[in-house]
Amino acid sequence: MSAAPETPPRVRAGGFGWTYRDRARPVLDGLSFEVEPGQVLLVLGPSGSGKSTLARALAGIVPHALGGTWRGHLSVGELEVPATPPAVLGERVGIVFQDPDSQMVMPGVADEVAFGLENRGWPRAEMLSRVPEALAAVGLAGFEERATATLSGGERQRLALAGVLAPAPGLLVLDEPTANLDPVGMEAIFGHLARLAEGRRHTIVVIEHRLERVWPLADLVLVLDGQGRQTWFGVPAEEAARKALLALDGSRGGSDAAVLAADAAADHAMLAAAAAPGRDVLIAAGVAVDYPDERGGRRLALAGLDLRLRAGERIGLVGPNGSGKSSLLGALAGLIRPAAGTVLIVGSSGASASASAPGLDPARLGSARLPALLGLAFQDPEIGFVGRTVWAEVAAGPAADRPDEAAIRAALERFGLRGLDEASPFQLSQGEQRRLSLAALAVRRPQLLLLDEPTFGLDRANAEAVLDLLDEGRAEGQAQLLATHDPRLLPRCDRVLALDGGRCVFDGPPQAFLARPPYVPPDPWRLIGSDTGPAQVVLGTTGLAAAEPAFAER
Amino acid sequence: MSFLPAPLAVRSDAPLARALPVTRVAVGGAWLLAAAIITSTAGELVLCLAALIVLVTASGIPLRPLPRRLFPVALAALALTVTAGLGNQADADLTQPALLVLGPLRLTWPGLLAGLVLGLRVAAIALTSVLVFAPSDTTTLADSLVQQWHLPDRIAYGTVAAIGLAPLVAADWNASGAARRLRGLEPRWLPGRLTTVPDRLFVVLVAALRRAERLGLAMDARGFDSGLPRSRFRPLQGGWIDILIALIGLAVAIGALAVGAGVAA
Repeated sequence: MSAAPETPPRVRAGGFGWTYRDRARPVLDGLSFEVEPGQVLLVLGPSGSGKSTLARALAGIVPHALGGTWRGHLSVGELEVPATPPAVLGERVGIVFQDPDSQMVMPGVADEVAFGLENRGWPRAEMLSRVPEALAAVGLAGFEERATATLSGGERQRLALAGVLAPAPGLLVLDEPTANLDPVGMEAIFGHLARLAEGRRHTIVVIEHRLERVWPLADLVLVLDGQGRQTWFGVPAEEAARKALLALDGSRGGSDAAVLAADAAADHAMLAAAAAPGRDVLIAAGVAVDYPDERGGRRLALAGLDLRLRAGERIGLVGPNGSGKSSLLGALAGLIRPAAGTVLIVGSSGASASASAPGLDPARLGSARLPALLGLAFQDPEIGFVGRTVWAEVAAGPAADRPDEAAIRAALERFGLRGLDEASPFQLSQGEQRRLSLAALAVRRPQLLLLDEPTFGLDRANAEAVLDLLDEGRAEGQAQLLATHDPRLLPRCDRVLALDGGRCVFDGPPQAFLARPPYVPPDPWRLIGSDTGPAQVVLGTTGLAAAEPAFAER
Repeated sequence: MSFLPAPLAVRSDAPLARALPVTRVAVGGAWLLAAAIITSTAGELVLCLAALIVLVTASGIPLRPLPRRLFPVALAALALTVTAGLGNQADADLTQPALLVLGPLRLTWPGLLAGLVLGLRVAAIALTSVLVFAPSDTTTLADSLVQQWHLPDRIAYGTVAAIGLAPLVAADWNASGAARRLRGLEPRWLPGRLTTVPDRLFVVLVAALRRAERLGLAMDARGFDSGLPRSRFRPLQGGWIDILIALIGLAVAIGALAVGAGVAA
């Protein structure tokens, strides 16, 4: 309840385990580790390894807000978590989650930072000096009177960090803080994380899959397997790195450099095969999109973009948040009526590509004609679900050309959803949800597939599976436009289209893009910028050159 | 991709914006009560005119986007005036000249006046609501409700956080509609489109509940509602402007009631 900074606590676990109330299996099992005051612990593991549960336990959310069975010991300083009231633990621990949108409480920036101080009963005078300090510490000095809604995703996440840092917690827990950010936002968070780690004023527990950035910061590494068991704890040595890569590789197994090299070689072969240009599938000319702004005027989101996409071609669409990617996808799918320009999808019978009727405008077509023409995979598959069961989700569509039972069965099989026919789409794992949304689109064989962050929220094994499935569609001549923040997907594209401020700033081969990205960011891009063979990444100061851990869990 | 109307950029130095939100809520309550009680055109007209004058002179609300924003209200008020007028007893009086004849329905001047009361009442209620809620953000409103009227923190700031999620829910709603269109499931005509509403609501509700749960955990982790007394980052205090607004506001309400009663008498 005072402004005096907490001293960083020691964090200790002994045989710690947790089972959520409605689950048969423990989500965490037998964790034993010790982090000295001021040290940085990096926690790694595939989807479902219980990393987020560990973060929640350190903040006391488990067991105080969520029900289940606790085993063993977990302590922050002298406080044993299950025996400590959440209010007392809350004085010591700050936690930043991955989604900035579901952490913002107040509409104003200063109020957002002050929220945690008010809850702890800080005197007003101390709040008035602490709020600007906390904002300055995350590079948001002068943002006090801004509305949170006007901030970018990266700025909002830094604001969340400021709000958590303001009460000066001794223990800082970061649960995949960059998972939802574009490369610019990510870079800023890593910069601040590095500064916090150097400061040694907090004990830090960070869950993060971008090894190349957090590895150098870690004093200790804890690796969990898919069942929530500890497979490694120690200083970040070679052995730890190997375990870490295995962990991030998930169920796929054997993630050594040879396997990755083979994958990359296969990709290059496929790129060469796909180089023969197919017919045009999509012709967009001068597409502009604008939205109403606060003052009754219009704000331009996309300024006159030209784009041609051929059969069997895959374009990677990149650019910071707000650069116009979503607007472009919306306009190409006919969901947003462009302020100017035309979008045409050329019918599969080559004859329709005549001068008089070059194609169809998806915005003017009836709903029933769309599924055979184009598919759009949403960033959050859940929001796109239309069926109550997995089977119904794939079967749903216009009555005229309903896929037959055999086709549905084959799609479920191919997308790894066998035996889930009657399950609710909302109860599937993230990887299953993503594959289901793609299966439902694939069964109609659209000529054009638009994908918004198709590997979002997936660990490496699941992301690889998704890309393999996309390759099958492309081999059949499907054109694919793939919007992504993940630079690791780009080598598997034929072309890269980069947007910034609603304009095209790059259009060319991925190797050229990765070698010289046309806008600020930075290391995560540069690290994979080699143009032949598998990319190499040097993990911090360990001197260990490992194949890069592509598609790590987000 | 936001599909909610953008918030109005209200001038914070306007008299109405400088007053405590609870003052506006109290005066607005009195006006709404008066609008509901009054049964004469003149009384409702006084309220509408007063609200318009305040809107233009003292609210700090930008006027340019207002006609478009208030268009649905104006349309509703007009429609109510005509339909209520058509259905009025006075219209059956064949001694009155008809302004409009629709089959068996006749619209007469006394009937139109009776309908006008309802139309003006809708307008008065809408304008008053704008004056109460537009001049300050939800934070200030919640601060004031907690500090002056002792509303529990949990309800006030819980609501503020929930309102913050509204644009995301709206975006989800639009996305669920887009998904149906692209999957070939959008019925061709409007009445048919309504049949997809329950399914879309389900999807949006699932997403909203998951998001609300995450937000709730984040708020708990930051010590919200932990039993400690909260301190105030923005203490709010009333001043002479609140007294002035309360007095003028009450005078207008009483005046409107008096005019209404006078005409009726």
